[in-house]
Amino acid sequence: MIRHSTFLGAAVVAAALVAPNAPLGAAGSAISGTVKVTGLASGADAVVYIQQAAGTFPAAKPVEMDQRKMQFIPHVLPVVAGTTVKFLNSDPTPHNVFSPDNEKYNLGTWPQGQTKDHVFATCLKPPCVYTQLCRVHPEMEGFVVVLQNPFFAVTNKEGHYEIVNVPPGAYTLGVWHAKAKAQPKPVTVGADKPATVDFTLGR
Amino acid sequence: MFQRLSAYHFVARAVLALLVLAATESTALAVPAFARKYQTSCQTCHIVFPKLNAFGEAFRLRGYRMPGETAEMVKEPPVSLGAPAYKQLWPDSVWPGEISSAVPLAVNVKLGDVNASTLNEDGTVTSVKNDLQFPREVNIFGAGTLGDHVSYLAEMTFSENPNGSVTVELEHARVDFDSPFGPEDLFHFRLGKFAPNVADGFQEMWISTDAAIDSVFAYNPIGINGGTGLAGDVSPSPIALPDRVRGIEGYGMINHRALWVAGVVNGVGPSPTDTTGRFDGNNAKDVYARFDYKIGGMGLDGDMGGRPAPEKNWRDDSLRLGVFAYRGDASNINFPVTTEEGLNTNIQDAHFLRTGLYASLFFKDLNVFGVYLHGSDSLQTFDAETAARLGTVEPDFHAWFTQADYLFYPWLQGSFRYETVTPADPSVPSLRTGVFNASALIRANVKVMVEYQRDLRQGDNHSLNALLRFAF
Repeated sequence: MIRHSTFLGAAVVAAALVAPNAPLGAAGSAISGTVKVTGLASGADAVVYIQQAAGTFPAAKPVEMDQRKMQFIPHVLPVVAGTTVKFLNSDPTPHNVFSPDNEKYNLGTWPQGQTKDHVFATCLKPPCVYTQLCRVHPEMEGFVVVLQNPFFAVTNKEGHYEIVNVPPGAYTLGVWHAKAKAQPKPVTVGADKPATVDFTLGR
Repeated sequence: MFQRLSAYHFVARAVLALLVLAATESTALAVPAFARKYQTSCQTCHIVFPKLNAFGEAFRLRGYRMPGETAEMVKEPPVSLGAPAYKQLWPDSVWPGEISSAVPLAVNVKLGDVNASTLNEDGTVTSVKNDLQFPREVNIFGAGTLGDHVSYLAEMTFSENPNGSVTVELEHARVDFDSPFGPEDLFHFRLGKFAPNVADGFQEMWISTDAAIDSVFAYNPIGINGGTGLAGDVSPSPIALPDRVRGIEGYGMINHRALWVAGVVNGVGPSPTDTTGRFDGNNAKDVYARFDYKIGGMGLDGDMGGRPAPEKNWRDDSLRLGVFAYRGDASNINFPVTTEEGLNTNIQDAHFLRTGLYASLFFKDLNVFGVYLHGSDSLQTFDAETAARLGTVEPDFHAWFTQADYLFYPWLQGSFRYETVTPADPSVPSLRTGVFNASALIRANVKVMVEYQRDLRQGDNHSLNALLRFAF
């Protein structure tokens, strides 16, 4: 069982349980660290992820992105390719969901309490970022980040992250943020030997 | 004919000029809306407001954005008018923008205790003592940014008249497009009614005296043999280096150190007899240009070249030099002039040119700056009844001023300005004026000034004013 989470639990990663087909180490370890974004007060909402892990990873259970108080919640939602995202409208006003990115889609407009599903089936060159927009409320913005494997985490408002149960091995750790960039970094994880990797993102 | 027409009483004209001299006030801005937006003090951008320090000048030139501004500097997050991703969808969607979360309004209030002595035409002297002009002026501002690359400024001024009526003037109403393309800060464009950057560094945001620099901004060139003095409330608006224009201006900074400015504007307003409702007095446009270079100190865009900024943020040891030119066309705009002989004439300034040099030296707590201005006009005189042309003259005039500002304490500044204008009409002697000013910040946003202005040619013309200004 692999669990991925955010350190201190400030941001919720909904794709919680993944059963990989690839053999994993008996005892995984963790990669943690801090992301700082130059010019921003908070390092929140950065996705830190292992770029490529051996094996194939089936889609996780469907996860939810809510539209509540005129916001996409969570603001950033990383998923494994093939995952279904359920877009819920919790507001009394109708919301629409569409994305101008990649293959593009428009799920239409629906009222409070209803959901519409979208399967993020493929991603040839992770991360595949889908900006979520609402035609009814142009200020709303969210992101679905499609990845190759389930070893990812979203930073909390302090910029902390933790990816747990990472199989021992050498990886390249990438980071994605809506407004800033940084180069990937190598990381080696041993059994019961956690690693720490910090990032500083710039414009 | 022409010689006869030129027989004016120069003394009377000079007195008129001096009366105006004592009455003209400078206009200046301090915009506390920015203090709220960034949660910062007035002294971040101002020395003794409204005078800008180097950082404030960079903030202004960059379209009300701080040098190296990041989102965390903005303590009052704006309201999004569209997610950034909508830029990808244009033209199928509206380009996103943003507005400030609080209404970006600010207020300036000025109170004055006026003491003035004025020599009248008949040789008598009028004295005014302790005339409490409470208030003298109230300004309401709106200023800020509208997302990336767009900024704005609007200002309305309310001046109370002795009879209780209020004069309202829209002093600024402009929108700027800041670095819409090309390297950052190389191209800015603004349109609307604004203070042209042709006077950058010596007007509006840099003059802490209450009296305006009339030698540069109020000289009236109209006269049978050329100008004789200052214009004051002459209509149409005087042909001078304008402190406000309606038009379009481009400006930008090159390699942090150079400033370029170019503008196309309406120019002189319509004559009183013009019933078309137009804002421009004729179909010709005025144009202007400027080029500055700054040596030392902070770059015009706020760049410090890796050096630390001075601890005392009003210091900016530097020398800035500039050249500027303004070419106007006031043809078909009549300025009525009655000669001493009683002949009613109309004078038109077919074209005029104002060229100038500007220098500003900052050294520790001292700032000395000044302008030399040369003007040339092409004046055509017509008989008001028959419209027959009576003659043409092409007179020249020149004016200059120098001002020294010294900061004794961060809250106390002393200023002295000497200015002179040599009118084109040779029968009129040069006007010379001295202005002393002491400005004290009793709070960051409350200023007390004592100012003495004196006609250095005729000692009966002088004023001593105490003023209180506050901004919130």
